[in-house]
Amino acid sequence: MSAIHLLQGALEMLGPQSAPYAPRAYLDPGSGSILLQLLVAGILGGLFAARAFWGKIKAKLTRKPQEDPEEDASE
Amino acid sequence: MSEVLPSSFRDPSGHLFRREGVLYRQVNARYRDDYDCLMGSGLYAALVKAGRLVEHEEVSEVGETPEPAYKVIRPAELPFISYPYEWCFSQLKDAARATLRIQATALKHGMTLKDASAFNIQFIGHRAVLIDTLSFERYREGEPWVAYRQFCQHFLAPLALMSNTDIRLGKLLSVHLDGVPLDLAARLLPWRCRLNPALALHLYAHAAAQKRFAAEPGPALRKGRLLSRTAFLALLDSLERGTRGLRWNPAGTAWADYAASADHYTSSAADHKRRLVEDWLRIAAPKVVWDLGANVGLYSRIAAELGSYVLAVDGDPGAVERHYLDPVRSPGERVLPLWIDLVNPSPSLGWAGEERDAFLARGPADLVMALALIHHLAISNNVPLPSLADFFARAGSWLIIEFVPKDDPQVRKLLASRDDIFEFYDQQNFERAFGERFEIRQVEIGYSAETRVYFNETKPAETFYGDGMYSGDQQFAIEVMAE
Repeated sequence: MSAIHLLQGALEMLGPQSAPYAPRAYLDPGSGSILLQLLVAGILGGLFAARAFWGKIKAKLTRKPQEDPEEDASE
Repeated sequence: MSEVLPSSFRDPSGHLFRREGVLYRQVNARYRDDYDCLMGSGLYAALVKAGRLVEHEEVSEVGETPEPAYKVIRPAELPFISYPYEWCFSQLKDAARATLRIQATALKHGMTLKDASAFNIQFIGHRAVLIDTLSFERYREGEPWVAYRQFCQHFLAPLALMSNTDIRLGKLLSVHLDGVPLDLAARLLPWRCRLNPALALHLYAHAAAQKRFAAEPGPALRKGRLLSRTAFLALLDSLERGTRGLRWNPAGTAWADYAASADHYTSSAADHKRRLVEDWLRIAAPKVVWDLGANVGLYSRIAAELGSYVLAVDGDPGAVERHYLDPVRSPGERVLPLWIDLVNPSPSLGWAGEERDAFLARGPADLVMALALIHHLAISNNVPLPSLADFFARAGSWLIIEFVPKDDPQVRKLLASRDDIFEFYDQQNFERAFGERFEIRQVEIGYSAETRVYFNETKPAETFYGDGMYSGDQQFAIEVMAE
């Protein structure tokens, strides 16, 4: 579970002055489940953002100068 | 007369109660702000419009103590309550995807699901709807999804097991009412599932994290932006892809190919039986029909077309899956295929044994159909004929039942590898047993010269009270029927 330890370290660096997080939940969401979720969602969110960013760059690079949006619409 | 339903005690936001036969949901004062947000943010309207949330109206009814009520609402009543352990693979999958879509819509309106229990989803025919109006709370930017564990246990784990290990593991949901424990799922799944990205993260790593932090508190998290909205959406997207990617092909189960290859039927015999069923359905005009042993729903469809709401019950998960996925056999929202083994129908379960109702307690139906079924119960499962008659009398008011005799090729097959201990299994004894509980209105020849189809009506309750030969259990059934 070294990934969890990494996350643990990273989370502990977050603002020590802020109040501790306690989930608002009438069922126990499970501390392991919450931690894993933060780790997984962090990675997936990063990939998400990277993909969107790369998509934008790719669109810019591959856009041909003569390409006209109106032409696209008429196709 | 008013009673709080035993299924809704867990969430302090409110509870269900029934008064004078009408179902209400009390919204407790502590849930006020979340309820106002649900109604005011446009989320309620959006979900109801999409057919994803049960509709309700606010009423002036007084709530049930002890919690002070903010409002009392009257939800639209559903034709039948079914449970996740009665759903086929694609029903559970559709319920999972509906939950994720509802959560995504909620986020757009500044709310989030605080639970993701499969029991909160119900089917109206094919349509999966959320029935717990109080499942939403206001979303606070940066907070994780508190229902993540529940989603993985209630949906992802059983779907993965049904898809990759064995379809019958869907029934684990009746043992584990809060979803299949992830460590158990991880042990039962084949090794190759570790290579599935969604399962690797949400099931295997999740199970390991649960184990790691089971005994000790996790690292102290600080309030604040623990999870960005992008990360939240990415999590939902990953769960959706993971769920969508799980598949199951019913080929190879005992009954899935039965109707297609029904070589023991001649088409004229099938037409004859179909006309009989149609005529009798018109006479009884039932609102709710239970088609027991429905297979892929040939007769369920007839009843639905005549206006009934039909439960198409079958014990074979392949047949139920085929039926559910066949758009022709399940028109609109009037047929609900369910995977229930009739020799062991769902019992009442949960806290105090009464959170989830037994199958028979969710009846009776107006009419029960049992076509080409009885030999499976009487011969394969050794159920005596009088006991079968009792069962069907408890299940519904009218009964269309087919008697399949011993010389039928299907029955001969059942007896081929065992002793024939069924000296009482014949038409005469069948009529005697069912005549005790039913008025036999009409008898016709079935699909072969030897089979008979019966149109029966249960005898009025007082007939049974008179002779004093029925057990307490049967008396109870009679009272239920009389209500």
